Amino acid sequence: MNRSKSLGVALASVLLGGAVLAAGGYALASASPHQSALSCVPSQSAANTCSLHFSTFPDALAGEHGSNGGPHPDWVSYSNDNMVVPANTTVNVTIDQYDSGGALNNAFFDQVMGTVDGTATIDGQTVTHVDPTQIGHTFTLRGIPGSGTNLFVSVPLPADNNSGTPVTIGAGQYAKPVVVKFTFKTGSAGVYEWNCEYPCGGSRQGQFGEAMSTFGYMSGTLTVK
Amino acid sequence: MTNETNKKSLKSFFILWAVLTVFGIVVSLTVFSHYMPKSMSDNQHLTILTVVIFSVAAAPVAAGVYAASYYALRHWTYRGETPPPAAEAVRENNVLTTTWVLTSLVLTVFLLIWGLGALAVDNSSTGKNPLVVDVTGQQWVWSFAYPGTHVQSNELYLPEGREVIFHIEAKDVTHGFWIAQMGVQVDANVGTVTEMHTTPNKLGTFDIRCTQFCGLNHAFMVTQGHVVTPTQFNNWLAAQPQRS
Repeated sequence: MNRSKSLGVALASVLLGGAVLAAGGYALASASPHQSALSCVPSQSAANTCSLHFSTFPDALAGEHGSNGGPHPDWVSYSNDNMVVPANTTVNVTIDQYDSGGALNNAFFDQVMGTVDGTATIDGQTVTHVDPTQIGHTFTLRGIPGSGTNLFVSVPLPADNNSGTPVTIGAGQYAKPVVVKFTFKTGSAGVYEWNCEYPCGGSRQGQFGEAMSTFGYMSGTLTVK
Repeated sequence: MTNETNKKSLKSFFILWAVLTVFGIVVSLTVFSHYMPKSMSDNQHLTILTVVIFSVAAAPVAAGVYAASYYALRHWTYRGETPPPAAEAVRENNVLTTTWVLTSLVLTVFLLIWGLGALAVDNSSTGKNPLVVDVTGQQWVWSFAYPGTHVQSNELYLPEGREVIFHIEAKDVTHGFWIAQMGVQVDANVGTVTEMHTTPNKLGTFDIRCTQFCGLNHAFMVTQGHVVTPTQFNNWLAAQPQRS
């Protein structure tokens, strides 16, 4: 084989390898179970204010995973994973929490952090922190220092110990939820990550596996634009 | 190859070795320290110094390898069908092997002594009123508690000039606690508290990152730290919300 032919074969091998990697990456990205983004609803009465309303469930039957709950119907889930909010805006958040719970493994997350006034309301009662042994999930949002606003919001969602006539949402039936409300302010545009900090992801990885380690269940993005 | 040609070749080898050595030393003294995180503690100063000194010590060795490779490729390549007989084996050259072994020994012992000394200095305590900070890694947030106070925070505040003792652990999987600007890097393990010492000596802001791939949002396990004056630090502690 002459020299130019060898170089040609080497170059073709590199290009082929790159194409295989790119195709694999594209296929993996396409297969990620990201849901359609939940957009912040502008307030009719207040300027630069909007509202987000979503839920947490003890399974995947009521969110956007399909009528049969998708590939993991028994995994805990948020109803939405990707959210879009405007920059420099006051965001009023309401979360209907339908899941039971237990003790946090890190009491740091029983505090309400990063909200306006450092408070949230739980079924109408204003709190700065909750009982760390009765947590359903947390909504913990953060940015990367030096990229956009250094945002950090963490709100505990108490366990839902309500009983009574269940309501049907999607393919699931749930008791009356705990309603958590809080307000935070967005800064500059950027993509921020959020996830739950209550160990609700099965038995692996310190209970941070399964739903906690798969896109579309207990984590997502908040796009500020 | 005649003796005259051999001497010329060896001369060109030594010239190339000297030039590459000087180049390696200049790069070690300028480029490496320029691209390392700026120092905000004695630990990081020692880390930068160690990298520079080890690089300078390695420069003549690396230069020797490159020069010898060039020498071999330049003078020992034969394209004909009947190669010349093999040259004298290096192991028969007592001067060369003795120099090689002694140089390697001196360099290795130097690196060992420097490394052990740097390790001892790096994690030593002054014992003068240290500030203890409990560091907890959990997918995918760092949190910091200040024992003896009510304060817990997702950002790290440290007073300038006061020794800090980090008590580091993880709640779920292994994380890596890294403050590049302070030369602090250690694994955060589940069920084990690891202790690290440092003394911030420069006001400013720094990043804290996780250096162990710890799951889905590992790349987002970054938070910010601040070195402030002792007065600012006390004010910050007092301003943190009380748990009622």
